[in-house]
Amino acid sequence: MSALISMHGLGGGYAPGTDAISGVRAEVEAGQTVAILGPNGGGKTTLFRALLGELDHRTGEVELRARVAYVPQTERARLDFPVTALDVAAMGTYAETPWYRRLGEPSLRRAREALGAVGLENSEGVLFGELSGGQRQRVLIARALARDARILLLDEPFGGLDQTSAQSLHEVLLGLREDGCALLIATHDIHDARGFDRVLCLNRRQIAYGAPETVLDAPTLERTYGGEIITLPGGERAVVVGHHSH
Amino acid sequence: MIWPFEPFELAFMQRAALEILLLAPLAGLIGAQIVLRRLAFFTHAVGTATFPGLVVAGPAGISPALAALAAGGVFATALARLGRVRGLGREAATALLLVAALGIGIVLASDVFGSGSGVDRLLFGSLLAIGGEELQATAIALVVSLVAVAVWRRTWIASGFDPGAQAALGLRVRIADWALVAVIAIGVIAAVDAVGALLVSAILVIPAATARLFARSVRSLEVGAGTLALAEGFAGLLLAFELDVPPGAAIAVLGGLGFALCATVVALRGRPAGEARA
Repeated sequence: MSALISMHGLGGGYAPGTDAISGVRAEVEAGQTVAILGPNGGGKTTLFRALLGELDHRTGEVELRARVAYVPQTERARLDFPVTALDVAAMGTYAETPWYRRLGEPSLRRAREALGAVGLENSEGVLFGELSGGQRQRVLIARALARDARILLLDEPFGGLDQTSAQSLHEVLLGLREDGCALLIATHDIHDARGFDRVLCLNRRQIAYGAPETVLDAPTLERTYGGEIITLPGGERAVVVGHHSH
Repeated sequence: MIWPFEPFELAFMQRAALEILLLAPLAGLIGAQIVLRRLAFFTHAVGTATFPGLVVAGPAGISPALAALAAGGVFATALARLGRVRGLGREAATALLLVAALGIGIVLASDVFGSGSGVDRLLFGSLLAIGGEELQATAIALVVSLVAVAVWRRTWIASGFDPGAQAALGLRVRIADWALVAVIAIGVIAAVDAVGALLVSAILVIPAATARLFARSVRSLEVGAGTLALAEGFAGLLLAFELDVPPGAAIAVLGGLGFALCATVVALRGRPAGEARA
């Protein structure tokens, strides 16, 4: 398998002279899922912005061998907007459709295929606000797929979902992994992170990167979360405390 | 000719009707974005902000449209600065500037400058006194707006739905947002001649807000808002002609009644279109 993302000592930030992230080294291959763990302000969003090209990195290098798309939390999207699931998925084709061209059948076909890939082929005419939380998250993933993106950056996709919706979304992500997408998933759920191929621990600098069984130990988690984490006896369970969702 | 067409044998009524025909597409296309992006109060404030410029235009011998544009520019710049003041907030800053613009306009129109401008006409419009120059200005505003809508409509929809569309979709949102503000200002200046600085919302906001109650797509919102603006505009014009009342006020009253009626129907039928389920 070939690496879709290569980060070599990536570092950068917003304020002059102060890096929000530093020393990020990771190779992410096609068909891999990577959990990005870290406290609030630890650099998860900054890393995504650097990969999207919105933040100039000051040190290191990033090589991307496929198109990148960001999948936000559903709370950020307007639920009262009069757009259907198909309309939202088709937004993924806007950037490459010149303004003087109508959104033609090829674009709509891609949007429909993307909806099919997330199991919503029968909901294309439903208003976005009338879908369940899990379905909305899947529509936003479909929007990224319609961009022809093979690298997806997902911002806490399981936040606020019930167990059934979370399971269904998990199956969608596994399907995308099998299709050769690289998925970077920002999460606070250490238990979920154990189910991914790789884990990247960030706290303003890279703490660790590797397979979950080698990374998710008590010392690494304590270095990642500092005082925000309680490791239960035996080190098998760790709980993040003091987290507030955005 | 029989009623309701009889009044349109008069030249000033024909010009007023043509002005409404030109404003209706603006109400549909721009009004839809105003309502979707929750810019109704901003639009009302831009309308009021043109008032001092319009007062000064006559005595100074400059084009009312240019004076209104300049006043709108001062408003937008001041809002951008005030909106960043800690603890004030954008809404409060808009209200502050709106009141300031209204007050300055009234002071300028008083004996201080000896202005002969009719304050009522500037605030509430003069649809029955529309001339060729005003029609020309509205037609230019319509053409400019149509071009802007053609170029940026998709980006406006995508970024209105998801404010982070730039990162998620690779769209140039910032330029599109500035274009939207400019187009709203152009639409406001076009509507000021017809309904006045205080009633631009009667054309650019109320029809779209009413159509929003039923619309299940952006396209149906645009078509619905434009159609309502046309219907309310013509009905208001006829009402004004028959009852000898200001047409801007008649259009605003009809728009308000239309919204109340539709909102009642929607409330009786159930939730409005597009409302999220729990």
